[in-house]
Amino acid sequence: MNAFDYRMPRTLDEALAILREYGEEARVIAGGTALVTMMRQRLVRPSCLVSLRQVQGLDRIEATNGALRLGALVTHREAETSPLIRERLPVLSETFRRVATIRIRHMATIGGALAHADPNQDPPVTLMALGARVEIRGAGGQRELPLREFLRDYYETALEPAELVTGVTVPLLPAASGAVFIKFLPRTADDYATVAVAATITLEPDGERCREARIALGSVGVTPLRGRAAEGLLSGERLSENLLHAVGEAVKGEVDPLSDHRGSAAYKREMAAVMVGQALTQAWEAAQRSVRGAR
Amino acid sequence: MTFTQECVIPVERERLWDFLMEIPKVGRCVPGVETVEAVDGSAYKGSLRVQVGPIRLSLQGTITVEEQDRSAWRARMRAEANDRRVGGGIRARLSLTLAPAESGTRLMIDTDLAVLGKIGEFGQPIIRKKADTLLAEFAQNLRAALAQ
Amino acid sequence: MTRLIRLTVNGRPHEVEVPTYRTLLDCLRYDLGLTGSKEGCGVGVCGACTVLLDGKMISSCIALAVFADGREITTVEGLAEDERLHPVQQAFVDFGGFQCGICTAGQIVAAKALLDAIPNPSDTDIREWMLGNLCRCTGYYKIIESIRAAAERSHT
Repeated sequence: MNAFDYRMPRTLDEALAILREYGEEARVIAGGTALVTMMRQRLVRPSCLVSLRQVQGLDRIEATNGALRLGALVTHREAETSPLIRERLPVLSETFRRVATIRIRHMATIGGALAHADPNQDPPVTLMALGARVEIRGAGGQRELPLREFLRDYYETALEPAELVTGVTVPLLPAASGAVFIKFLPRTADDYATVAVAATITLEPDGERCREARIALGSVGVTPLRGRAAEGLLSGERLSENLLHAVGEAVKGEVDPLSDHRGSAAYKREMAAVMVGQALTQAWEAAQRSVRGAR
Repeated sequence: MTFTQECVIPVERERLWDFLMEIPKVGRCVPGVETVEAVDGSAYKGSLRVQVGPIRLSLQGTITVEEQDRSAWRARMRAEANDRRVGGGIRARLSLTLAPAESGTRLMIDTDLAVLGKIGEFGQPIIRKKADTLLAEFAQNLRAALAQ
Repeated sequence: MTRLIRLTVNGRPHEVEVPTYRTLLDCLRYDLGLTGSKEGCGVGVCGACTVLLDGKMISSCIALAVFADGREITTVEGLAEDERLHPVQQAFVDFGGFQCGICTAGQIVAAKALLDAIPNPSDTDIREWMLGNLCRCTGYYKIIESIRAAAERSHT
């Protein structure tokens, strides 16, 4: 690794001031799992690391109005094991559980993961299906962006220079909903996905027809994607083989995977359709269970 | 990896060809190019910066024009560049063809690109995506340069 | 740039001046002479560098040494009490949980963390917890057996 200054601000404002001071030469470090790995491979060579490890108040998990809010420094392991998240949004804690290994999850933070913006990551896929919003703080103050606007391209986000992710707000699911995360990884269990799908289904009060579906896909583009055309096909419909087939075909048209050692683009395209079918079936069943449970 | 790209430039073929064969001039239209200098008749050296998120590559290398056939409106070039810090580089063979188009000239570029070393391990899938963005910006710069 | 860090390793306080780019693994091995933890892959995947940071297992090859300032580290060297091996270490010896030994320190530290968190783990618990500790020699069966035995012994 290259030599670098290491600064440990105690407040967000201090951190932002250091970022402004160093400009492009500084990078924020939280858990460091992605950044240190890239630095060891000499892919990035910042002359200053701004550590957030001493900044207070960024590691809370709280229930807010119809949503959960996770501070940027919440680790994957904390999110995975949080009783609050397990109770209110089990699909989210289950997603965090699938990331890499426990060692990585002890260090890697949600803020760092979002700022890293690798389209192969798991949590952003579920967060996108749930309609999460990213909190950003900079010199101009605080702002909030829907996750799908925050993630711009491979390793690129909407963060301006000297801006930080401070948290993410995740709306809870309405009643009569089921949500599922599927990680398809034909290689080792600690790898990134070949294809990942997060699907939510909300049923009409009769428990038969779909009122709203959301499908988010990971590892099939330069960012996680929402399968909007596929979602549109599900509105107002009953689950059926034909419907799932049509949805699968729509998904194939919406994804734009890159070929890599986890699979060719063609393979990922096919598996995206298969995994969406599985996710929707499971989410539908979960939604129906939730309707029956409520009666 | 191989890929084909094309763009339409609103000038006649002759003018576009002459511009494209002036490597230092056209080199400056490539986004991220910092320097292009002639070494001798058909060889040039240059440097190019490419960025993917936090990863910045600084490629230093050479471009050789292997074939120029104005009558067939076809040129072939070879480029080799390395990033010494990251450890890796690119080897590219480019084939340029000009064809008439409704609103000017269609420039077609066939690229055969090998990405070596560290960049190759990490960068293969991204490079293809970047190539499309690069071409779009290149075409824009080209149009602007020719409009003068 | 260097930083003076104060960390507790295996219960003993240390003061070390480290360059900021020093990984925790290198600090443990070279600055503190604790060569039990090994560098296998250098990217946090193989688990040979597993240590506990405030009781939680991490990959020390991708942790900066400066992260450990003010914190408690446990390495494989800190598990035995005087001449008595930790139950996990003893079980690895008794049940053949290692061959070449390169992954073993990481396996043992991870297994100790498992038994601290889940004193009576099922086989599924063991496999899931240990999935990030790779071994090229044993095929994992003896590692799992050793951990199971250590868990049973810790109950008697």
